[in-house]
Amino acid sequence: MTPGGSLAARAAATPGAAGCSERQAVWQSGKVTLYRYRPIARPLVSAPLLIVYALVNRPYMMDLQEDRSLIRGLLSEGLDVYLIDWGYPDGADRFTSLADYIDDHLAGCVQQILKAHLLDELNILGVCQGGVLSLCFSALHPQRVKNLITMVTPVDFHSPADLLSKWTRNIDVAALVGDGNVSGDVLNQLFLSLMPFRLTQQKYVDLVAGSPDKASLENFMRVEQWIFDSPDQAGAAFREFVTWFYQENRLAQNRLEISGRKVDLRDLRVPILNLIGKRDHLVPPAASLALRALVGSKDYTALEFDLGHIGMYISARAQHEVPAAIAKWLASR
Amino acid sequence: MRPDPWQQWQAFSALFTPGAPASPPGSGHHDASSFAPFADLTERFNAAARAYFDGAANAPAPAAADAARSFSDSLRELFADIQLPWNLSAGSRALGASPIDPMNSPALGATREHQLRAQRMADAWRRVEEAQRRLQRMGADALREAAATFASGLATSPPPAPSAAALHKLYGTWVDCAEDAYSRAVHGEPFCAALAEYVNASSAWRKELQASVEQSAKLLDLPTRSEINTLTQRLAGVENELRALRQKHRPEPAAGTVKRARRKAKP
Repeated sequence: MTPGGSLAARAAATPGAAGCSERQAVWQSGKVTLYRYRPIARPLVSAPLLIVYALVNRPYMMDLQEDRSLIRGLLSEGLDVYLIDWGYPDGADRFTSLADYIDDHLAGCVQQILKAHLLDELNILGVCQGGVLSLCFSALHPQRVKNLITMVTPVDFHSPADLLSKWTRNIDVAALVGDGNVSGDVLNQLFLSLMPFRLTQQKYVDLVAGSPDKASLENFMRVEQWIFDSPDQAGAAFREFVTWFYQENRLAQNRLEISGRKVDLRDLRVPILNLIGKRDHLVPPAASLALRALVGSKDYTALEFDLGHIGMYISARAQHEVPAAIAKWLASR
Repeated sequence: MRPDPWQQWQAFSALFTPGAPASPPGSGHHDASSFAPFADLTERFNAAARAYFDGAANAPAPAAADAARSFSDSLRELFADIQLPWNLSAGSRALGASPIDPMNSPALGATREHQLRAQRMADAWRRVEEAQRRLQRMGADALREAAATFASGLATSPPPAPSAAALHKLYGTWVDCAEDAYSRAVHGEPFCAALAEYVNASSAWRKELQASVEQSAKLLDLPTRSEINTLTQRLAGVENELRALRQKHRPEPAAGTVKRARRKAKP
């Protein structure tokens, strides 16, 4: 086998979209798959941890490579980790709503885990948009949640530095979506447009100028693959999310209803850990910090890290700090 | 064939390494072009920077200022065609075109409905182009502001000795200036309004286009998206009813089989 062939074989075996940690699909419903990760350390707490990732990107960012894996860090701390993979919505999912995601898919995953462990409550870690879904679920079903962790999660969608919110405020979302899905390519363009000089040029120029070694180039390409691996968004859920959260800020204003039931964050009395990236350009810190004033929980902790949005999952610093902080917080509750 | 980034990178590096051995056939050399735009950007930036160094080094103040201005103008040109969604060319223009300008034709007769649709489509496209021009103007203004900031920064200190590190630092400084100016522009109300108009007009145009395509599909007795949507919604309704029935008849867990997760006492 040639060196190139060997590398290509290794690249083919590179975890990539599957992540790097050993896991098993334990439940499936439509395109949604629930994974359980193989424990690699002595159990720290009794309740399992369910990671609820965003709909707008793929969840393997949480387990990108061995030395950059939030999931591996959590496993190393002795947590029993589950992850929801929402899959890639297609034309048949265009009418899938937020209620479907929260009441059917997320609730189904929770039910499956509770049944398997003979428990009646678990820990939830909601990431970015997944944090918003987790907040909604936890407010609607507080009896199922032992502890709630939100990570780079927007709550007040009208904070002054929120560029996405400003851009979407006057867009006719119903017309944009029509009866279809929203292309992942469109979302990629949107995210790149937030910082175009850095995201479409500088990072590549830096790569060219930096003479990377093989490992760092492979790291770069893995992140690159993830960034542009953007699923199309189920049209109805996208329309609801942009309208209800970005435009009308219903969650922060206590006006949100899912399936006719009010999502009142004051009903959230479980312990809450809110993890915030101080340099997050997608979810400004103020958007996350607003959570404290809205929840009913008296056990609320906010931890701010000097990291950006993606750095919260994959930076070397995050690997040392974030899983340990989560484990320490969970272990004390 | 699965592309190998490392092979591509090596092939790309070889292009710039004097005396490097030629790559074997099929090594991925031909794929090195994926890096080429950024190498080109680097080269053009370096050329502009070298001209600045040559013009500013040991020159009297007015000449140094001229060199700085010329450098920042080059950067404006260099970055003017940055890829943003609203800068993409209107490739679908032909779809909205008509041999007769539908905007100036009265909608009469049996095809009146289709004429009106074509007029709405043309009007939406006019709005798209107008919003696109506004966005591009604001982008150009931001670049002008960035160039001015960059030039004034250069004027405050003598140019460093030309080196790869100095060039990279200058590039980083320019990107900082460009992002700052861009950020100020895109947070502003005029930009947000123009962007919303661009998206809304595009949506209106697409809606009319979809209606035209459906009309053609009906003529050929092909299923339309609207018909498939109707079927999808009916199926979803049946699924929801089935789920509700299952939920209603799901047996409750036997008493004593579920335990609460242990909760530690608060510290």
